[in-house]
Amino acid sequence: MTIRNTLQDHGQRYRPRMACLKKSEKVLLEMQDPKTGLKSQPQRLVITTIPHAITGEDIIAWLADRFQIDTQEARSFGSMLVALGYIYPLQDHKRLVIKPDSSLYRFQTPYFWPTQQWPVEDTDYAIYLAKRNIRKKGILELHEQEHYNRLHKWMNHKWDFIVMQAKEQYRAAKERKKPDRVVFDCQERAYWVVHRPPPGTVTAMDYGLDRQVDPNSDEAITPDFYERIMIFTQQSIMRPRVKSSVSIGALVKYCATYNNHDPFLSRCLPSNPWVTDDVTYWTLNMPCVEIPTKMRVERWTFSFAELLSDTRGRDDFRLFLKKEFSGENLAFWEACEDLKWGEAASIKEKAEHIYKTFLARGAPRWINIDGKTMEVTVKGLKHPHRYVLDPAQTHIYMLMKKDSYGRYQKSPVFKDTVKKAICPDEHRFSCAQLEQNSKKRRPSLSPIILRQMEQEQRAKMAANIDITQLCRFTTPVPHLAVYSGFTDYPTATASPSLTFLAHTPACPSPISVALDSTSVSERRTETGEGEGEGNPAARAQVGGNVSKSRMALSLRRLLKGGCTPGTMFASLSPKCHSAASTSSRIQPISPDQPSQAPPRRTGNFFQIKVDIPPECRIYPIESEDEEEESRVASRGGVGAKEIICPWESLTTQNGTG
Amino acid sequence: MGKDECKTMLDALNKVTACYRHLVIALGSTSDSQNLREELKKTRKKAQELAVANRTKLTSLLKDKSISKEDRAEYERLWVLFSSSMELLEVDMKRSLEIGQDFPTKVPTRHFIQTGMTGSTTTVAARAMSVQNMKYEADSNIDTVDLRDLQTEITQVSQMMEEMEMKVQVAPWAVEAKQEAGAELKSNMSVGNSSVGVISICEEEPKEEEGGGSRDSGIASVCAVFVFFVIIAVAGVLGYLVVNMS
Repeated sequence: MTIRNTLQDHGQRYRPRMACLKKSEKVLLEMQDPKTGLKSQPQRLVITTIPHAITGEDIIAWLADRFQIDTQEARSFGSMLVALGYIYPLQDHKRLVIKPDSSLYRFQTPYFWPTQQWPVEDTDYAIYLAKRNIRKKGILELHEQEHYNRLHKWMNHKWDFIVMQAKEQYRAAKERKKPDRVVFDCQERAYWVVHRPPPGTVTAMDYGLDRQVDPNSDEAITPDFYERIMIFTQQSIMRPRVKSSVSIGALVKYCATYNNHDPFLSRCLPSNPWVTDDVTYWTLNMPCVEIPTKMRVERWTFSFAELLSDTRGRDDFRLFLKKEFSGENLAFWEACEDLKWGEAASIKEKAEHIYKTFLARGAPRWINIDGKTMEVTVKGLKHPHRYVLDPAQTHIYMLMKKDSYGRYQKSPVFKDTVKKAICPDEHRFSCAQLEQNSKKRRPSLSPIILRQMEQEQRAKMAANIDITQLCRFTTPVPHLAVYSGFTDYPTATASPSLTFLAHTPACPSPISVALDSTSVSERRTETGEGEGEGNPAARAQVGGNVSKSRMALSLRRLLKGGCTPGTMFASLSPKCHSAASTSSRIQPISPDQPSQAPPRRTGNFFQIKVDIPPECRIYPIESEDEEEESRVASRGGVGAKEIICPWESLTTQNGTG
Repeated sequence: MGKDECKTMLDALNKVTACYRHLVIALGSTSDSQNLREELKKTRKKAQELAVANRTKLTSLLKDKSISKEDRAEYERLWVLFSSSMELLEVDMKRSLEIGQDFPTKVPTRHFIQTGMTGSTTTVAARAMSVQNMKYEADSNIDTVDLRDLQTEITQVSQMMEEMEMKVQVAPWAVEAKQEAGAELKSNMSVGNSSVGVISICEEEPKEEEGGGSRDSGIASVCAVFVFFVIIAVAGVLGYLVVNMS
């Protein structure tokens, strides 16, 4: 998947409405009232006295009184006013917070107020830096120097103007009296601290992305305008409604559940990185961390969606499903998600791949969905689109949610995870440490690197797929057919099939069915069909694989060792018909190495199977061709027969399932 | 020569733009008053006259096809100077309209923002108008009347700028500046003394280097005063002895 450039300019160049600005201006105007506003005091400097200085505690007290709020909230409100630039601190001018003591602040002049319609221009900043350069005789702060050099490079064509204007503004400023000059310098500096913040500080003027429509422009009243309003009201009438008692109840429940988990509403262990600049919280909660935190694990118990949406939770669940041998459900769900959210160009091949792996009869990781859904899905797959697998995906999701999720929460896997989960201690940083933290801030890993890591992870997972975890209806013959989709599956099918058998003894496994005679006949039938269609590939493959038939034979002998005669015969009985009807004409992935099955047991077993008359075969589809002589010859080799997707072949399969 | 004329006119425009900006900054604060509005009006008018004059001169120079390449480059540079000045002027005018509407002078319930600036801006305006003293003769309702004029003037300026862009084909990004980085430090000799004073009283935070400067200068002044008194005391003692002796 390519990395998309998220910031695509679709003509977005209008700053959004910033409602807080107009509201703050009103508050500020109220503060100016000589009777009910803030009381100011003069600021005594060495040479002069400058009036209209206000103390932090006065501001907080006034806000608390005016809005009837407690001091903590008044303090945050005051800090917001300072951060936006309406009030600036006289001491410690770089930290834009309100200190609830006698530190002094002053109001900013309306020209320097933040506005939505006048963006802060780089030209003005360049002029300011040039003026500052003059005043400080060339000694600028580091970030100012960087900005200066950058602006000099990018605004070079205007640089004469900037220098001239800086000098003129400097001279014009000197025309005023000394106290006013001081005030003006402080004002301008405060303005630029807000709009070009020094590194290591957070700016309150972040407003997100620009908008396409100018919020300041008036909308023209045209027939289109009225039409839009009409459509909107009609849709509002038709909207389905929920009783407020129900919706409020849901909201209350949600808040109660998630209250402790919200890092802004309650404590965040060890500490909230946005507040303390310490990133332990993020490192502990990374997607692929070994040991999750207790809070995270607790979230997994809230709902199934929470479990799946958390990568670590999903891994845990996958591990559990692996132990239960129903990992194909999750794999199918993930594959559907991939299809939904992936590129449009790859939809067709992904859909085919999914069909071959999960949906087709005899697929290696066959999932259990009901007949109707399967029908709908297969029909839809003829013309695949993003949401073609939605019904199947929903079905599997609900299956997992109702069935596996409950068992997962009681399973030893989960209990183990809960036991091992860590609960970090809370950080207690002193002010000095906080400052140090803010200086030590570093950018996180580049998203390009993260994306690469993700892709590697995914490739690794795809390579390690335990395709050997066959479901009950898969033909577990460790046959040598290989899917066109999968390339290398080094694991042997035999041992899992053995364990699989042990797990499901009652399963009328079509394992037996997947023996020589039937499989070969099937194979030949398929080949025949393939030939009938004029599919040259199958023919060629079949021909080419004759040489491998010997090896296949011996392999099969080895691998069949696990099947007990009992199950074999049981499976041969006609009542297994329905159960096995969905099993495959398709052979699962062949192992490269023979399994560890004991070689001794195979002989008799093998011979028994050979004598079974073809009528006992369970597969309904291929019943015609029975030449058992040719079965040896036409043993399929690696990649002999591909799964034919129904929309590829003209022959329709009698899909059941 | 055309170039020198242009340059002097551009300097004048530059000066007026800078002064206008200072005046607009004072709008809405406690140093606002009726006089300020009048100053704004006068400065604006002057700026517009200069702008028109500059524009005609520069357009005639640039339209002349027979000039040399270096001349053309120089005129283009002057043109960029002119257009940047006009941009600043336009923005300042629009903002002064906004702030002027928000802070009418005569409404008693509407209070100015207590910014700490209390002095008047006469000197700035005088500098802009290039006169010694400003004369104020406007009526009391200048703020409302003026705002209407201001709106028309803003539209005029916007139109002028659009015309400029259409008629004159100058690529602003192709112009190379003559001044290098840090050029503002060189020619301004009067920077030195008074600015130190400005820095020292700007804050009282001991952590800042400026605060350090303030503390140093504070200590220096205290020491100076102490030395002064010591000398006075010594002089007094000596005088007393002289008087006693005689």
